[in-house]
Amino acid sequence: MIGTLRSLARNKHGLPLLVGQSRPVGPRHFRPGGVRDWFILLLPAAEGMDGFVEQPAPREEWGSLAPSIHLPLLPCLLHHPVTRGPKETEFQKTKEACLNYIQDALLQNQWQRAAEFMISYLEILETSTVSKRKTAPELLCQAIWRIGTEILLHHSKSNIEELNYFTERMKNLGVKYYLKVCLEHIFYLLCNGLIDEAYQNLTLAESWRYGEQTAAQNDELKLIQAYKGLLDYYNWSKKREAMLELDEENFTDSSEQEMHNFFRQAAVNLKEIIKIPGVWDPFVVSYVDLLEFYGDFDEAREVLTEYAYNSKFPPNPNAHAYLYHFLKRRGESKKSLVSVLKILHKTVPSHELMLEFYTMLKKSKKDKKRRLGLEVIFEVLDFAGWKENVKAWSCLAEQIKQILDNSNKHLDWVKEEWNSRKDWWPAFHFSHYLAKRNWQENEKLAYEKALLAGILLGKDCKYYKYVLHQGCKAKKKRFQTLKKFVKKHNSAYLRITACSDSSTHL
Amino acid sequence: MDARRGCRQLWVSSRLRGFCHLSQAWLWELPLGMLGERLHEELALQWDQLLFDDAPTGGALAWLPTGGIGASRGCLLHPAGPAMDQLCFQDVVLAPGEDGALRPCAQGSPAQFKLSGRVRQVSATQVDGAAFVGVRSDYHCGAWRLQPGAVPTPLQVVRTTSPASCLTVSPHLPGELSLCTHSGAVYLWSVETGLQRLCQEPETMFFRDASPWRWSEFTAHPRVLSYADRTGVQCLDVRAPTQARRDLFKVGAEAGCQRGERVVLPLYLGQAHPAQHLIATQFSVYVVDERFPLVPALRWEHMMTVPPIFAHMMPGSPRGRSHKVLLGAQRTQELMLLQCTGGSTSACQLVGAPRRLHTIADGLQYLPAMTPHQLDWLHQRLGMPAAGVTATLGRCGPLESMLVFQLSEAGDLFYQTLLHSQPADSSPERGHADEPSTSPSLQTPAQAVQHLPGPGTSCGSGTEGEEEDRMETYLSGLEVLVNEDSEDEDSGSAGQPTDPGAQGQGRTSPNQTPAPSPAIAAQYRRWLATLSHAWKHLAEPAKPRVPLTLSQRRLFTRRELGQVPGDRVLHQQARRQLRRAMRERGLVVGCALGSEPSPLPLPCPVEPQAWPDDLSERLTASWVGGWSNWWEEQQGRSQARQARVRALREQRRRRKRARGLCSLSGSFSSSLTCQSDLSDFSDVSAWSVGSRAPTPVPASPQHSLAPSLSGQDAPAEPWPGSPLACSTQLSQEPGGSQDPGTPSQLLSSQMLRLRGVPRERRKTLRDYLSIFTESPVEPPPEVPSSQASRLGGDHRVPLSQSQASSLGGERHVPLSQSQASSLGGERHVPLSQSQASSLGGGQHVPLSQSQASTGSQAKRKRARMGF
Repeated sequence: MIGTLRSLARNKHGLPLLVGQSRPVGPRHFRPGGVRDWFILLLPAAEGMDGFVEQPAPREEWGSLAPSIHLPLLPCLLHHPVTRGPKETEFQKTKEACLNYIQDALLQNQWQRAAEFMISYLEILETSTVSKRKTAPELLCQAIWRIGTEILLHHSKSNIEELNYFTERMKNLGVKYYLKVCLEHIFYLLCNGLIDEAYQNLTLAESWRYGEQTAAQNDELKLIQAYKGLLDYYNWSKKREAMLELDEENFTDSSEQEMHNFFRQAAVNLKEIIKIPGVWDPFVVSYVDLLEFYGDFDEAREVLTEYAYNSKFPPNPNAHAYLYHFLKRRGESKKSLVSVLKILHKTVPSHELMLEFYTMLKKSKKDKKRRLGLEVIFEVLDFAGWKENVKAWSCLAEQIKQILDNSNKHLDWVKEEWNSRKDWWPAFHFSHYLAKRNWQENEKLAYEKALLAGILLGKDCKYYKYVLHQGCKAKKKRFQTLKKFVKKHNSAYLRITACSDSSTHL
Repeated sequence: MDARRGCRQLWVSSRLRGFCHLSQAWLWELPLGMLGERLHEELALQWDQLLFDDAPTGGALAWLPTGGIGASRGCLLHPAGPAMDQLCFQDVVLAPGEDGALRPCAQGSPAQFKLSGRVRQVSATQVDGAAFVGVRSDYHCGAWRLQPGAVPTPLQVVRTTSPASCLTVSPHLPGELSLCTHSGAVYLWSVETGLQRLCQEPETMFFRDASPWRWSEFTAHPRVLSYADRTGVQCLDVRAPTQARRDLFKVGAEAGCQRGERVVLPLYLGQAHPAQHLIATQFSVYVVDERFPLVPALRWEHMMTVPPIFAHMMPGSPRGRSHKVLLGAQRTQELMLLQCTGGSTSACQLVGAPRRLHTIADGLQYLPAMTPHQLDWLHQRLGMPAAGVTATLGRCGPLESMLVFQLSEAGDLFYQTLLHSQPADSSPERGHADEPSTSPSLQTPAQAVQHLPGPGTSCGSGTEGEEEDRMETYLSGLEVLVNEDSEDEDSGSAGQPTDPGAQGQGRTSPNQTPAPSPAIAAQYRRWLATLSHAWKHLAEPAKPRVPLTLSQRRLFTRRELGQVPGDRVLHQQARRQLRRAMRERGLVVGCALGSEPSPLPLPCPVEPQAWPDDLSERLTASWVGGWSNWWEEQQGRSQARQARVRALREQRRRRKRARGLCSLSGSFSSSLTCQSDLSDFSDVSAWSVGSRAPTPVPASPQHSLAPSLSGQDAPAEPWPGSPLACSTQLSQEPGGSQDPGTPSQLLSSQMLRLRGVPRERRKTLRDYLSIFTESPVEPPPEVPSSQASRLGGDHRVPLSQSQASSLGGERHVPLSQSQASSLGGERHVPLSQSQASSLGGGQHVPLSQSQASTGSQAKRKRARMGF
């Protein structure tokens, strides 16, 4: 009790508290290598979140003195349960130390050093007694697999044969991770351009059966099949290219038959994986390509619609883009295209397709759609990524010019849009600093922005004044016309500001 | 309680003694149980903090390049001073060394601002040619503007009532910041228009987590903020904060999270890609795209032992160079470098393996040899937890270098230089080897030690001269350490081949110590001298505890100690005796060693009345033989004291018990028994003495707590033990045919048994009633007759106020406010002024007012969850 009060008192004085005490003991959290990072994207989204709702009970370990955040005290992989307890032998201690050295070497990218330690570490497989190894052979194997792969991938002297050999050994060692090891190996082969070998491995992995272990690795099996489908698609598209190059007469029936075989195999596998909620962009694109080639447009449309609009799938802007491009290729009506982009606009207002959306809406005769077009282009320019996009700025300038020329019929649209932005757009887009920079970097951009600044903020706006001044100094003709235009439409500026003022006073 | 009084440790530390003096008056009054509870809470808190402290999240170190990114000069922002409460803006020039690597050189003295709290976080961004700096301490947040070539100007300071947990500066709009507090509130802070509260949520977003930590960053849209707690990140629209928000990241299966994973630090990667965010957890790092929420674009396990709470991102060049992300941990000083590319056209991916950079403490092995205790200081000093990380890229001719700055909690600033090297002939097996030129290889374990006063130096007494001297050390420190750095770099490149292809050819020992040049050695000695000076002046309690020892000097005088013991005759004699006994294998009898000690004279007889304190009373009692009686009496008294304070908590329980008793019979005796633990009674300190008459009800403390009582229908009832009450009760006895007469009759055990008083309670009852036999009192003079009659009509036993209230089901229970709220009735708990005002506040609420209610909510919530 006294100790705490004492430390409290020290803490009040801003002194560091008990530095270096109570460090967590135990090997470091460490998980080298791992399945390549983009692999995560391809895992299906889980339906329930129950497993994560409750805090894992560290309270039982620590009593009520549990840390508010679960610290990586115990690494999931490299912690060996066998070494715990009073029976920790010298050998176990050495192993722990060895593991720490390996980690150290890996993190400093010293692959040779890591490899040397790894060789020593592998003895664990031989020396450990059977009873001890019973406790966590899977974890051990996974650790060896991951560390070994990482070292082999980076080591300057390693080659493909060695890695193949290592992977084969690993597959037999850890049955529980068989398919994961396969996947990793296949990615490696694919990255090195060994498509055929990868295909062989996929075929082997697909037919692998090992009792209950197969069922447990169902997700991986689906992925294996999907990748096999993808490779089938790859082969198919190669054949298609060859076919397009050759004349129809030279293209024999047998090769056509072959191509159709590839199609069938690919379609079956790809269709399977797309059913599971997840992000399957490459698979969907290939599947749709296959279907389109054989003229099954209804199926393709169904797949794409499902992929974009099924709420079980994570919100994926790419799905909308795929659907839009498909419909566009099919020459669908404007209406359906607009409706697709409208949904995309709601989820991702900063999408690249928004400019296309704007041009479609601009041409529309309906006021409502043109109103939406103005909204879209304004919203696009809200985003930092579009800040210096000349095309977007010229679209907006063009639209507003059109409205002004149209006897200010829709000036209230501009007013409404401007109202929500007038407190931050000037600082965000039309500052003096930006005027200087835009003028230096992109004159066209400066011109468009100056036009808008002159209309929206009046001719006293710093941005407008600076750009105009520079433009006139450089004796550019269009800046003269700009000046005239802004002068002519000064009343519009007054109306915009006046209305917005009154609306804020309401 | 006596144990607390007689704590031996009290006299060890002067600070503790001071604390003791301060708290002597009231600490004894606190009930032990409550104190223990609070202490337990505090211990848990301290333990949490030891394991993971989220206060310095974000880091208190920032680099502002002057003249665009990649410029060769900039401003380093860091806290200094013994309490880390001075904010320094230090101009730094990056000058190339002999080998082309850039080194920082301080230019002039830093602009300093003294703040009123420890600087926890410094965040800085450049907007529109000027730099905006946000500084967060626990209860204050400040904003500065730094224009090139000008002195930094402070803009505004905000005070918060609950600790601030985050302060970020907008990369879009000048003078805009976002601020989060532990009460779960997010504010958009514009220097021009003030604070705007966007939302306030004491609860976490996706599932329950106790941590009050919140974080907020800006996003690609200048009006949309990201809002994070431990369970995830959401996007919050400033223009419509109450509307539904978009989830950006959720701890859970969609992101492939592990069990127990929590968000530790979000970072907006706007410079790399306008829509990307980095989210660090204690296990992994995620890159999340705003346009594609919930599913991370990248996940990587960072392999750090403690959660990274510092992060810094350096955007890659537009020519496809990768973005560099630094992750820093606090306690272990770990520093990890990740490189990633992609985002818009290509998929987001990491380039190369993550790389660990040197920690501050790693520099220790390169320092020259020193004595073990110096080594010990240095070890402690260099091993202090990190307080911030920042980095900058610079170019000198063909060589590109990356400077990584690290700040330790002691205020020491370190840097290391990483040189960029072209990767060796791209090994075909690397899936990501298409990256043309990245992966800076680490070259130097460099230490740049800027001296700052040691943790214990008293800052208040520092004279100006001292201050100047310190400044000088600081500056030259940086310069000379540049040299030191170059030395180390040699060793670094010797120890660690920079060419990745050559790494296979063995590796020399990293522990090769360089021979320091005279200049470095001199500088290093100077730094060490200052450090040791500071160490010696550490406040006593800050030093490691020495085991408790008794000083010999207090037991013997110096003269006595000076005498050689063997000189004394008695001693020689004793020695002879001992030898003889040993020879004869006999016993040494005590008297044989010296002359028979004369019997001690009897002390004067003690007058017990002269010693009124507890201990003496107890001794007297045990001397006389009535110790057990005394003990019982004492027990009763201490129980009474505890009961008074515990009364509030036990209210509900007692009500039940009392109701049960009442419904049983309502008999006189049982009612009397249950009075023994009444709070009213227990308060009368004189009752055990029996010399004073019980006072009427309004004097009891319960009433002072509940003044509203008299206005309600509960009447001021007579003192239950008074003769009036007794007579009323007795006359209402159900089978009351016999008149008990005087109270002494009541005391006969036969009577008591008749009344069903349990054997073990009889003694208490007898003791209690003996008061009245000894000193009969006058009935309280003014009892309204109507009340008396009402009492008479009521079959319920008139009890003391509190019990009456606890008994009466229909009555309005007059309770103290705290009780009322704890009982959770429909009663309106009177709010304090600040609470009331905050409830009625508008959107633009001054921060200090608005927090009151939520703070209490949060506290209550925590208490509920904790136990």
